[in-house]
Amino acid sequence: MPAAAKIISLAAFRETLRERFPEAVRAPERFWKTGWAALDAAGGLKQGAITELCSAPAQGGLFLDRMLAAISRTRSFAALVDCGGTFDPGSQEPTAFPRLLAILCATAQQGLQTTDLLLRDGNLPLILLDLQASSLRSLGRIPANTWHRFQRLAEKSGAVLVVLTPQPLVEAARVRITMDRRWTLEAMRRRRSELIDELNVQVHRRGRTAHPFTELCNHIA
Amino acid sequence: MSWFAAIWLPQFPLQAALRLRAEAWGEPMAVLDGTKEKGRVVERTDAAARCGVWPGMVPSQAIARCPALRLLPRCPAQEQQLTALLVETGFAFSSFVEATSAESCVLDLRPVKAGDWAHWAHGLVERCTAVELRAQVGLAPNPDLARLAAQRADPVLVVQHPGAFLADLVIAEIDAPAELIAILRDWGISHLGQLARLPRHELVERLGPAAGELWERATGRARRELRLARVPETFVETYEFEAPIETTEPLLFVLRRQLDQLTTRLRGAYRVAAQMTLTIPLDLRTGFHERVFSIPSPTADAEVLFRILNTHLESLRLDQQPIAVRLQIDPVVGEACQHQLFESALRDPNRFGETLGRLAALVGTENVGVVQLEDTHRADRFRLVSPEFGKTEEPAREEAEEHRTLGLPLRRFRPPFTAQVPLQHQVPAQVFSEKAYGEIIEAAGPYRSSGHWWDHGKWASEEWDVELSDGALYRLAKHDQTWFVEGCYQEGQP
Repeated sequence: MPAAAKIISLAAFRETLRERFPEAVRAPERFWKTGWAALDAAGGLKQGAITELCSAPAQGGLFLDRMLAAISRTRSFAALVDCGGTFDPGSQEPTAFPRLLAILCATAQQGLQTTDLLLRDGNLPLILLDLQASSLRSLGRIPANTWHRFQRLAEKSGAVLVVLTPQPLVEAARVRITMDRRWTLEAMRRRRSELIDELNVQVHRRGRTAHPFTELCNHIA
Repeated sequence: MSWFAAIWLPQFPLQAALRLRAEAWGEPMAVLDGTKEKGRVVERTDAAARCGVWPGMVPSQAIARCPALRLLPRCPAQEQQLTALLVETGFAFSSFVEATSAESCVLDLRPVKAGDWAHWAHGLVERCTAVELRAQVGLAPNPDLARLAAQRADPVLVVQHPGAFLADLVIAEIDAPAELIAILRDWGISHLGQLARLPRHELVERLGPAAGELWERATGRARRELRLARVPETFVETYEFEAPIETTEPLLFVLRRQLDQLTTRLRGAYRVAAQMTLTIPLDLRTGFHERVFSIPSPTADAEVLFRILNTHLESLRLDQQPIAVRLQIDPVVGEACQHQLFESALRDPNRFGETLGRLAALVGTENVGVVQLEDTHRADRFRLVSPEFGKTEEPAREEAEEHRTLGLPLRRFRPPFTAQVPLQHQVPAQVFSEKAYGEIIEAAGPYRSSGHWWDHGKWASEEWDVELSDGALYRLAKHDQTWFVEGCYQEGQP
């Protein structure tokens, strides 16, 4: 068989695979820019994937502050699933409130059910699941397959799911952000933007487990 | 020459009773005027007619002729809706519609430009068929003639020559005074053609002005203005079950058919559904279940509307069995919306509406929504209200309040923890509570606020931000001489 004919048939075969198994084809990675230099330097928040923020609640609060600012700036919509109901609107900028769907959940389990519904809905591009007020005991009871299911749902909808946890918990997270810093009472008199600049932010990216057909397509390519 | 079209519904009581039951037309069915014991047959299906069931029979006679005959009572509510639907269909073809009688309406076709009236009339019949109306259409140069034509149509009749059409009609077929008909019968005049040949002037001299009016109708020269109907503001479908139902399947089946009909009607009127009202009358007629659904993104898509109803019915529990179902749609004109360049919109607002309903069922209505701050300085005063993401307008940019951009955001405890707070020189020195415990090494405050001193809602509070020896940062507040740990800025190190 001539080489040109072979190339054409392989291209056609790849196209057939793409058509028959669209979920297996790796979509180009897209990122949601937060406007926060420390995060955006590492690409931002990955769309269609779970990002885990491991930090103390104080840093989690600052992260929410940045996310609300990003929602206002990009004029997009988001959901905050607050497990424990600790979100204080009084200490956040109200500009983003009309674009933020807040859900106050009594338990972590309720928060997971809520997140599941929001991911299946697929309307909101950013979902923030705040588990930092939940007890470690209740978080330890969350089955690992929950996160894998969320990962698949996020992939399907293209949403950014950020899970705020007190310690590493989400196995399926593609990106893990850690933040570290402690303050004294003097910090309460300083601008929040200064406090955010002082945060020690580290972003760890993990590769995606390739779907077998993706591997096959890549191999053929 | 101006033209008028009349739409006539033959077997009107039967059409109303068998609405949304297309399959029942093949079965022996009859509609009774009155109760099953004392009523009489007013209409029957062809299958019943073949068995010898005729209008005027009492139920026992009819069942003796046809043992499989099913008897249905007349349903005035469904007949009214059928009339409304007829008029509504007329409005899809002309702006000038007269609801002439329960089973007929007349359209003024002056604004309509049609080359082939017969083709146009067939389009009207097709439209009626789409909304499950069995209609006959007549076109003529005057309203009464059009109505007569509709009654003789199969299913369309265009009267080009009124004189020829009327000549064969029996006088009794048109609405005329009974005594006048009797006199004419005595004269040997039974058809309109015979009447038209008489001289009008002499007829009026002998029989009065009513005879002149009848003569004009007999010759097709009668003219009258239409009494115009109003465009319907709601679209309603009602269905009564033959027996109370026990599961949701039949209800969903009927609702789906109703929605198919309603959305066809909506599209015909160039409208979309903005609100749906579902009413389910219950057995024993002791009450009913009613629910109003606001459609987040008004639509005429039956699939979307059915999903909204289905989601509601999935979790619905009724004490008694439903005996009927009524679905009303309040329409609006569909609006086209152009978002700004960088504005993002919800992909599927109706699906989002459903999800909100599910979330409200899961966590409670008061725990889902967008934050709406109350107009007060009192701490932690806000409500979660239903979001209107489709209508989000950019709020006027206000200068940010200073406390919102300073320091760490608070993580609030709901409810707050009561605490014992000993003071030293009027400053909190220690805190003892379930959440925070230890010596206070630094405190900022007091931040005092009060309000509503003029009414019963009077309140006053004193807040302190404190740092404990383990590095934890908390907010303490004193209300009515009681101390609380209201929230945490930073947790302590072990």
